[in-house]
Amino acid sequence: MAMRELPKTDVVIVGGGWTGLTAAYELAHAGQRCVILERGQPRHTATSFAGPEEHDELKYALRYGHMQDVKKETLTFRNSRDQQALPMRRLGSFLPGSGLGGAGIHWNGQIWRPLPSDLEMRSHYDARYGSQFIPEDLTVQDWGVTYDELEPHLDFFERICGAAGSAGNLNGETRPGGNPFEGARTSDYPNPPMKQPISNTLFGQAAERLGYNPFPMPSANVTAAYENPYGAQLHPCTYCGYCERFGCGYFAKADPIICVYDRIKDHENFEIRFGAQALRVEKSRDGKTATGVVYQDEDGVEVFQPADTVCLNAYALWNVHLMLVSGLGQPYDPETRQGTVGRNYSYQTIAAVDAFFDDEIVTNPFMGAGALGMVVDDFNGDNFDHSELGFVGGGYIACKQYHGRPISYQPVPDGTPKWGAEWKRVLRETYSRHGDLVIHGSSMSTPENYLDLDPTWTDAFGRPLLRMTFNFPENDRKMSDYVMNRALDIAREMDHVTSVSSVNLAREGADYSIVPYQTTHNVGGAVIGTDPTTSVVNRYGQMWDHHNVFVFGACLFPQNLGYNPTGPLMGLAYWTLDHMKRDYLKNPGPLMDA
Amino acid sequence: MTRRYSRRAVLMQIGAGSAAAATLTSPKHAFAQMDSRPWFFLTDDEARWLAAICDVFIPQDDFPSASQAGVVDYIDLQMASGYGKGEGLYLKGPFPEGTPEQGYQLPYTPSELLRRGIAAARDEDDLGAMPPPDRSAYVEALSERTEPIGDVPASAFFNELLSLTNEGYFADPIYLGNHNYAGWEMVGFPGAHAYYLDRVDKHNLPVDQPPMGIAHNGGRSTLPRPIRSEG
Repeated sequence: MAMRELPKTDVVIVGGGWTGLTAAYELAHAGQRCVILERGQPRHTATSFAGPEEHDELKYALRYGHMQDVKKETLTFRNSRDQQALPMRRLGSFLPGSGLGGAGIHWNGQIWRPLPSDLEMRSHYDARYGSQFIPEDLTVQDWGVTYDELEPHLDFFERICGAAGSAGNLNGETRPGGNPFEGARTSDYPNPPMKQPISNTLFGQAAERLGYNPFPMPSANVTAAYENPYGAQLHPCTYCGYCERFGCGYFAKADPIICVYDRIKDHENFEIRFGAQALRVEKSRDGKTATGVVYQDEDGVEVFQPADTVCLNAYALWNVHLMLVSGLGQPYDPETRQGTVGRNYSYQTIAAVDAFFDDEIVTNPFMGAGALGMVVDDFNGDNFDHSELGFVGGGYIACKQYHGRPISYQPVPDGTPKWGAEWKRVLRETYSRHGDLVIHGSSMSTPENYLDLDPTWTDAFGRPLLRMTFNFPENDRKMSDYVMNRALDIAREMDHVTSVSSVNLAREGADYSIVPYQTTHNVGGAVIGTDPTTSVVNRYGQMWDHHNVFVFGACLFPQNLGYNPTGPLMGLAYWTLDHMKRDYLKNPGPLMDA
Repeated sequence: MTRRYSRRAVLMQIGAGSAAAATLTSPKHAFAQMDSRPWFFLTDDEARWLAAICDVFIPQDDFPSASQAGVVDYIDLQMASGYGKGEGLYLKGPFPEGTPEQGYQLPYTPSELLRRGIAAARDEDDLGAMPPPDRSAYVEALSERTEPIGDVPASAFFNELLSLTNEGYFADPIYLGNHNYAGWEMVGFPGAHAYYLDRVDKHNLPVDQPPMGIAHNGGRSTLPRPIRSEG
């Protein structure tokens, strides 16, 4: 039982990142008194992320200075149910953040929209290829919300970030220089696209010669002085090469602190408590609603914060963990395939191609930005004919120049020794003659990839660790191999390229490993939908089992897109908040019949 | 590069206004006594062994070797501070053996791992007595070794050595490696003061500005500590 009980508030929000701060902004302005529980510490873009101190590769990129502490909370991992899951003893494959702004301060700023067909994936494939087409072992499903419904919210988030890019489809009209496959947008990007370095330029030229449709990557690295709809001031990106794993002291990468927190922190309905570790959500006696959140405060005291409405805005994995340790919803059982919490966990399928240039090219890789890239979307989603391919999904191919930080950025061709005189000689030559291509692939859900609680290990608060069971589905291995080969075609077509090499993390025979960094795009586990037997929340993000609990973030994705998740998950967040403000708060109760 | 300053030399300059002649024998500055201090973490034997290994990973050519660039000093400081002591490492047992995909599963902090590994390796072979070609062959064998070294899995030990060496050669000199920007000069990395808005789209234009680190001091952290010969 909690030691201390506080007066009731209207809304308690777990997590002070992009979705949590945005929920507080929107609900506070709707007259709701909001309390955010943030497990980490306060920090500010102006005082905490300034160069040159922030530009410390060892401290932030290798020692994870902005990331969560696995000593406090981690998970166990195994590839399949016949193994014992073991603790993720240090961070590796993905890097959840901690502190004000959450992982939103150390993202790259790649800001995407889902394709219309992505959101209706099962219906779309059934209609185009027949109901037998999606492989039987995939639990792919529709999101229950359409692109047209999300469009105003995706658009608004782009304006919150001051996104830089080129529209490819403005109100249904295809425009040159943008992504011709994107869903119709109601407005162009608020800022012009980024400048491109030589490596990305050569990629774009080669892709065009092969008949593809290259365009500049949509970017939340802002390209002009800009004021967002909340009144935040953003500055032009300096291409400093310290985005991912770093905060941006230039106010040039949109982050939740400058874009949202600064604009709401003084509001009378807003409060944030730091060092407040949410431990569990409490339920009413009849189990139908949540009554509030128990957290441990900075002094180690357990506190109960009662609330009319509970918003779960932690990182995807920890939202699912909090539900499991609180008994919210029905945990998924892979044996019976019943239950929904932890079901449909998926990830991202990553492959890479390295192109090495002759000595006429000087790339200056340190002139970079997190979303500085040229992209080909011809092999993403269902933008290409899958009928003869034997898989669903796809990915974008991008040539990116996002950093030249010298501990991590050591591109050498295949066959180069890993150390010694020859390695040293080659690295000197190739450091500034390298094109960096990524294949950013979708990840399909299966009955065997899921999240539950570990029977052995516990976190610093005595709770069982989350247990992740995951391996790459056969479908995604085929997809990744196919799209990577298209990337290799482009790399070989690029001018000045003398050699190419590739690595597919999902190649045949290679099990998913929790060790090398891939992406911080863990999705699913509390998915959105229209059927309570296959989703945790209804299409408004409201829990089927507890109508006053709303869930935010990438844990909602029923399977993962070939895009980075922040744009889509923020579209969903604004969609949910819109329905909370318009419908739920006036008349609290289920927004859909189960 | 000829302008090298040892910590002692810098401290002498600091003290020059008062009693410069006396500083050598009775330093006024509190940190001056650190000049003759032992390593933060390493023993002399461990430092010698690490210098030999690191210089196989990064030998001298037109650019300094790992130990010449302060990599042993870097490792010493890392092992004595947060990382070496197990910050960012979940160390709750039990510790069953896992698959490579499950990552690090040993009950040791990095400094414990390093100390155990070096001790076991030194029990087996006298690396310091080997001529350079034999050292290279030794490192090659270590990288492929499947049986443990003492109670430490050889791959975990080897990977730790290789990544620490690499970090020390390329990390900002505030961490005592990358002395005089050896690593940054080698690849042409201009450092922590990064502002390229006007240059990113000027293609194929080499950057010839000298590197500049966080401390803004030409990379002159401290002179790498001399690795004392045995005995």
